[in-house]
Amino acid sequence: MTGQLSEQFLALSVDLTAFGETDLLGTGLADDYLAKARAACGDEVVTALLNAHRAARADAAGHNGSPDRNRLDRALRHRIFSDDRLGPVARNVIKLWYSGTWYGLPPEWTDCYGANAAAETSTVTAASYQEGLLWRAIGANPPGAKAPGYGTWAEPPRIEPRYLKRAAK
Amino acid sequence: MTAPTIANRDDLISYLHTAMALEHATIPPYLTAYYSIRPTTNSDAAHIIRVTAVEEMLHLTLAANVLNAIGGKPDLTRPGFVPSYPAYLPDGEDDFTVDLRPFSPEAIETFCKIERPGAAPGVRARLVPVPEGSSSLLVSSPTVEGMRFYSIGEFYEEIIEGLEKVEAVDPELFCGDPARQVGPEYFYSGGGSVIPVSDLDSALQALRFIADQGEGLDSGIHDADGELAHYYRFRQLQFGRYYEVGDDPDAPTGPPLSITWDDVYPVKVSARLTDYPLGSELAAAARKFNAEYGAFLALLTKTFNGRPNLMQDAVGSMFRLRDEFTRLVRNPLPGSGGLNAAPTFEIPPVSWSDPDASTTADEMAEATW
Repeated sequence: MTGQLSEQFLALSVDLTAFGETDLLGTGLADDYLAKARAACGDEVVTALLNAHRAARADAAGHNGSPDRNRLDRALRHRIFSDDRLGPVARNVIKLWYSGTWYGLPPEWTDCYGANAAAETSTVTAASYQEGLLWRAIGANPPGAKAPGYGTWAEPPRIEPRYLKRAAK
Repeated sequence: MTAPTIANRDDLISYLHTAMALEHATIPPYLTAYYSIRPTTNSDAAHIIRVTAVEEMLHLTLAANVLNAIGGKPDLTRPGFVPSYPAYLPDGEDDFTVDLRPFSPEAIETFCKIERPGAAPGVRARLVPVPEGSSSLLVSSPTVEGMRFYSIGEFYEEIIEGLEKVEAVDPELFCGDPARQVGPEYFYSGGGSVIPVSDLDSALQALRFIADQGEGLDSGIHDADGELAHYYRFRQLQFGRYYEVGDDPDAPTGPPLSITWDDVYPVKVSARLTDYPLGSELAAAARKFNAEYGAFLALLTKTFNGRPNLMQDAVGSMFRLRDEFTRLVRNPLPGSGGLNAAPTFEIPPVSWSDPDASTTADEMAEATW
C-alpha cells in the first residue's frame, strides 16, 4: 500500500519538479516528503491530489505511452493548479522538493479544508535543506553544507546544458 | 632466499606504477561502504572509513611523487588501472576477494584483510606463487611472471630495497623534474602532509610512511606518531570498542563504539552495468558516474605529469563525484530483490593528452600487467 502511494507520489513529483526519478530518489527524502504532506494536509487531500495527477496523465496519454507535453501541461493546470483545494498543496510540494521546507498554507486554505497542521512552516529532516533541488537547479552547493572544495567558488555555476537559454534553439 | 625482482630503473618504474594502481584499488571499496551509510547514522564507523580512504589518496600521491622522482610518468588512465571488482587480495590467500560492499561485517572483514600487517615469516616467503586461474590480483610482481606478494607491506619493502640497490650503482636515479612533485601547497586535509621526493632519503620516507600508516609492518597498533594503523582502526569496528595507547591488539579498552548495521543502504555487492535495467534513467546515471570518474582519473594524470596546481580542480571533481555517488546509492535497483544501486567503477577508456608526457612503448607494454 505504502509502496503504491510512494510510486504515485514520485510520479507526481517528477511532473511537478521537472527532475527525473533518479534525481528525486537520490535525495533519499521522497518518502519523508510524502509523509510530511500526509501529516500536514491529511490522507484525503493527498489521495485526491494523486488521483488528479493520474487523471491528468490519462488526459495527456499519447499513442506510444509517453504523454504529449502540451496536453499534460494543460491537464495539470486544469485538474490541479486551478483547483482551490489541490492547487496550493501541489505548489507546496514543489517548494518542499526545492527548499526542503514545508511552507505553511494560508488561513484561507485551512479555514476551508481543515488540516490545521498544514498551516505550520517546518523543515522535514536535517538533510532536507542540503538536498533541496534548488541547489542543483542553480548549479551551486548549499551554503554551509556539501563542501565543494577549496577555490571552486571561483568557477561559474555548473548548470546542465539543457537548462541554458542558448541551448534551446 | 628469493632472488630480488628489482634490478634497474625500469623495474622500479614498473613497481611504482603497480603501487599507484594498488593504492587506488583500495579506494572504491572504502567509498562504497562509506557512502552506503545513511546520513547522520554510524558516525564512528563513517569517520574511521572516511579517514582511511583519504589516507589512501595521500598514498597514491606519494607513490606518484616517487615515480616522478625517478623519471617515470604516472598514468591513471591505462587499461587495468582500475581493477574489475571483485578483485583478489594480495596477502597470499586465494579464498576471498575484494568486493564493493555496503557497510557490513563482511566489508570490515575484507578491510582488515586488505590492511593486515604482514611481515612474512622470512624473506623467502615474501613472494608467493599466484594460484591457478586468478586474474584480478591487486598486488602482483610486475617483473616476475606468476608471483605476487605476501602482503602490501612486503610489496613496499621490496621497492625500498630495490631503490637502495639501484641508487647505489646509479647515482642519477633521482633524475625527475622537481616541478612534477605534488607538494603540501597543492594537497590539503588529506591524512598527513605530502612529501616531495627528490632523493633516496625522501623516497624511503614516503614509502615507509605508506607502509606504516596502512599496515604497520612490525610497529604495533600505534606508529611512532601515536597514530593507529589502518588495520587496527578497522579492528575497532569488529570489537565495537576503541583502542587506548598500550592496549593489547586483541583487547581494546577504550570507549565503546556504537554501530547500527541496519542504518545502511543495501547496495548490491559489486554491481555491474549489466545489473541495471537496459535504457533506464538509472543506468544512464551509473554510466555517467563511470565516465566522470574516468575524466577525473585523466585530470589526476595531468596533475601528476607536471601540473600539480590542477590538484585543486581534482579535489572539486572528487566532491562532485561524492554527490553522484550518494545519489546512486539511494536509488533502488529494479529487479535486484530490494537492493540499491551503486557505482560499478567500469571505467570507459579515456584519453588524456599532454605533449610533455607521452608514454613510452615500454610503459605501454607494462600497462597490461
